[in-house]
Amino acid sequence: MLNEERVILMTRMASYEMGEGRENVKIGNYFRSDYIAIQVIKAVISASIVFAIVFSLYISYNFEEFMRQLYEMDLLAFGRNVLFWFAGTVLGYGVLAYVACSWRYAKARKSLKHYYQNLKKLNSLYNEM
Amino acid sequence: MTVLLEMKERLKLIYSKGEPFLLPLVKFLLAFITFNTLNGRIGYMTQLNNVAVVLIVALTCSFLPVGAMVFFAAVFSLVHMYTLSMEVALVGGCVYLVMYLLFFRFSPGDSLVVVLTPLMCLWKIPYVVPIVVGLLCGPASAVSVGCGVVVYYLVEAVIGSASNINTMGDEEIVGKIRIVIEALVSDKAMLVVIAAFAVTILVVYFLRRMSIDYSWTIAMIAGVMINVVILLIGDLLYDINISVGGALLGSLLAIVIAKIVEFFRFCVDYSRVEKVQFEDDEYYYYVKAVPKMAVSVSTKTVKKINSQQTRAAGGRGSASRHTGRINQPARSEERNGADRGAAGERGASRRAVSGERVSTGRDTAGERQTMARGRGGTGRGQRNPAYPQSRSNVTIGSTVRQDTVRNVREDAPEDFEELF
Repeated sequence: MLNEERVILMTRMASYEMGEGRENVKIGNYFRSDYIAIQVIKAVISASIVFAIVFSLYISYNFEEFMRQLYEMDLLAFGRNVLFWFAGTVLGYGVLAYVACSWRYAKARKSLKHYYQNLKKLNSLYNEM
Repeated sequence: MTVLLEMKERLKLIYSKGEPFLLPLVKFLLAFITFNTLNGRIGYMTQLNNVAVVLIVALTCSFLPVGAMVFFAAVFSLVHMYTLSMEVALVGGCVYLVMYLLFFRFSPGDSLVVVLTPLMCLWKIPYVVPIVVGLLCGPASAVSVGCGVVVYYLVEAVIGSASNINTMGDEEIVGKIRIVIEALVSDKAMLVVIAAFAVTILVVYFLRRMSIDYSWTIAMIAGVMINVVILLIGDLLYDINISVGGALLGSLLAIVIAKIVEFFRFCVDYSRVEKVQFEDDEYYYYVKAVPKMAVSVSTKTVKKINSQQTRAAGGRGSASRHTGRINQPARSEERNGADRGAAGERGASRRAVSGERVSTGRDTAGERQTMARGRGGTGRGQRNPAYPQSRSNVTIGSTVRQDTVRNVREDAPEDFEELF
């Protein structure tokens, strides 16, 4: 005999598992600190690559001027300046990634909690039969 | 309004029935339009402009996630840029890579927005994007819309610089890079549009979530106004030559499209708002319930009654004589309506003599009428074997028998074909 409530619950859960649940289950497999640490490391690597790309484009854009001033400029100050911008970019993006990942982890855990509650409910519905 | 709601329900029904085919079809069409538009706008590599190539790639996209469409669109544009100049493709690739590394990580589900934003900009209806995205997506989608705007202005920068780049020799690598970057960075319109769209998305998102009547309508109108105001301020500050008439017309179009989206996504009846208040041990609750507008679609059900199997334990001849229409319904289907009507009347008179209830079941009046019409009878007092009844005692004269009448409903699908 079909149990309508059970079918509805299972359909919702299957839909969740196929959609956003898949990503949430992946996130839920990590401890909070591990997940955030991995994401922040990824963000730092991404920011470093982006900085390298943008710096390259900047140098290409100002290539002639840069070459002209190369022998006159204070290379140490230039390097310090570049490092400052690099640190700022990486730090800023890292903090942004930390906040975003913390929020995403909390959201995923909340969603998974609801999913597990539904799972328990489904189990109890089966036990009633 | 009822007609529109019925149409909406029908569309939903069609979509739910044909989703496995409709979704790839929509993806295919979107990919085909996107690649064709891209080819039409840039189109430096003639081999890619071939319809067969576009069709193959679009077909591939139809079975892949939407992210694949973004990837192929990026590849298409980069190949076109490469045909123009390797340096241009390098700059384009760098821009795409930066966008991917910095922004897509936070909103990976918004691939469709990234595709649609440059497409809408190319079709000269960009103001639809922030309103619709604000209504349907979250605030993080502002990033995706911004990326889409950058893609559009990158394409425009490449097209604008193409004539200069073509005149330059192969050795002027830095010069070509400089031209494209300058065309992209110096375009203040891009920054103004990104800012306007981001603010509009946030305003629309927060207004439509507020607990006020007609929140979606208020959100879209406020969003349109803010969008136009920011664009005009940007125009005043940076002289970006935004057409005021075009912005107003585009905004009107955006409202029309947003209303259509609202109809499909958030169709509620504010005239029947209910406000209730209650409490439990920990909280007071102030609940505002807004009923959705919905109508049920009338469906046509054709029931084809093939045969009736009866089990007569004893006195078969007598039962056949008195209730021939019950035992031989297959033959009765072939008879004409008048004959069936007469038979129904005979059955009615016999039941009246027996004084016992013949037909029982949970059937509704509508079903009775339907079945009676099908058999040519009046529907009253007529012994109809198709009545949904599980088991009934039929007393005819002195013969008492257990007559099992098969239930011609959903639980006996072999007895009828259901069409809608």
